[in-house]
Amino acid sequence: MNVNFALLSPEYVLVGVAFVVLTVDFLLPREHRIHLSWLAAGGLLASAVVALVYRWDTFETLYDGLFIADDFGLFFFVFLTILTAVVVLISHDYVRQHVSQPGEFYALLVFAAVGMVGMAQAGELLTAYVSLELLSFSLYVLVAYRRDDALGNEAGVKYIILGAFSSAILLYGISMVWGATGTTYYGGIAEHLAANEGDLDPTLILGLALILAGLGFKVAAAPFHMWAPDAYQGAPTPVTAFLAVASKAAAFALILRLFTQGLMPALEEWQVLVAVLAAATMIIGNLVAIVQSNIKRLLAYSSVGQVGFLLVGIAALGEVDGGVVIPNGLASEAVILHLVGYAFANLAAFTTVIAVDNHIGTDELSGYRGLAQRSPFLALVMTVALFSLAGLPFFVGFLTKFYLFTAATEAGLLWLAGLAMAASVVSLYYYLMIIKRMFIDDVDESDLLPLRINVPGLSWVLLAALLIGTVGLGVYPQPLADAVGAASGAILPGA
Amino acid sequence: MLELVHFQILSAAIFSIGIFGVLVRRSAVMVLISIELMLNAVNVNLVGLAAFVDRPADERVFGQILVVFIITIAAAEIGLALAIVLRVFRNRGSANVDDLNLMKW
Repeated sequence: MNVNFALLSPEYVLVGVAFVVLTVDFLLPREHRIHLSWLAAGGLLASAVVALVYRWDTFETLYDGLFIADDFGLFFFVFLTILTAVVVLISHDYVRQHVSQPGEFYALLVFAAVGMVGMAQAGELLTAYVSLELLSFSLYVLVAYRRDDALGNEAGVKYIILGAFSSAILLYGISMVWGATGTTYYGGIAEHLAANEGDLDPTLILGLALILAGLGFKVAAAPFHMWAPDAYQGAPTPVTAFLAVASKAAAFALILRLFTQGLMPALEEWQVLVAVLAAATMIIGNLVAIVQSNIKRLLAYSSVGQVGFLLVGIAALGEVDGGVVIPNGLASEAVILHLVGYAFANLAAFTTVIAVDNHIGTDELSGYRGLAQRSPFLALVMTVALFSLAGLPFFVGFLTKFYLFTAATEAGLLWLAGLAMAASVVSLYYYLMIIKRMFIDDVDESDLLPLRINVPGLSWVLLAALLIGTVGLGVYPQPLADAVGAASGAILPGA
Repeated sequence: MLELVHFQILSAAIFSIGIFGVLVRRSAVMVLISIELMLNAVNVNLVGLAAFVDRPADERVFGQILVVFIITIAAAEIGLALAIVLRVFRNRGSANVDDLNLMKW
């Protein structure tokens, strides 16, 4: 076994950054510890640069195939570390006001990033599971971070109980798949599935269903979404943004690689299951979002709805033509594109929520009355983010949804594409209700707070960057589409 | 004579008892113990497969490796969960999951 350790250097850098942040936290005087965010964000970006240098255009496996370094892994490495860096920076103001030990907060975010890049690059179920748990453990602590807050406690307990429950289900599925196939490598599972087509062991089918359910819990697909709204509402808002964007992107990276490299030959068995899961998730997420009165809860249900759209892409990963599975490269590209577009829009929305929360101290939707008078810039960013999430033209969300629905149509899932469009219309309704509050309603007269919201310089820069990204990628998506094409080509050869 | 199917039935039974416990138990600590039962059902399944499944010995040993990983991760997970439950108990004077009802829908 010949291991090229230089290939792993980006991961070494990431882990190193986490420990350096933890150590420097002890050395700095208390009032300077807040600046650890620069160290953490800089380290994350540095690891992305190292990854680009060492992994550019490689296709190698490490540790006997446990770990795959390819364009798909590189794309997600860069994407996920940048996302984490943005979350580190948007939490700056929150941490200054509420967190007494900034070092441990930032280090946990970096450890979560290590887990996430592992999930995107694992070529085997146990490695994927251990990476997933590294991410989950960091998130359990971060969600319960408001130790003396009743909502924070409740969110933490609900999240960790359902998280551990779903891990047990996932593991039971892995044990059954290993028992039936004798391997946990994605490639080995694919070989076994292809060799025993039409005559699959029932334990293998049950194992795959349990794995699907366990992963469904992790991405909050209905009917396994119950933890998401509570965890989102009770967690500190920057952690909510992280949960909604980064952990979801990593889970879908894992799902994409598992389904394309491992489960593709059994497409007939799981396609309907995933399609039904997608339909239920879109319907429940978007309908329940309408009645929410808390912005974090509303965005939680909206992100459940977005998971439904992403699952449409997973269901469309291939089609069966005369007993032969034909992979659909457009679908995996669409899923990755949608993850990127969703990340930009959602981070912009959450950054606005944080800025509003820091000023008026509430997450209730009533606090958004007359936001356009308080701060036209915040109202503008929120509007663009919501329009992009709803999928209106000129914003990146339109483009990515267009790809997704085209992919679904090509895979012969017309009903699912139609349902997804209907769900988009419903989502536009509740997004527009927020926009109405911001622009048409007036600020409550009994409100004694100063009218204007001063956006801190760092948030201003981040918001502007996210705004430009959301609009810019919608108008000129070519560079992103090229990168996504290369990433998708690495996991779906010949498509 | 002990066979693979006995392990599978035992593991399925323990797993089901664990799910039942998660669903009906009120105390958060009992819910965590039920989750621990589910994880150990997985271990029983893997140990059974590693001993009896019809494969070469060097392939079967991977089941035991999986078990070691699961025991370690489960221990860490339960430790973390108990810390959070303890926090809830300190703040509220109860670790009853039915009392965690500030957030609904």
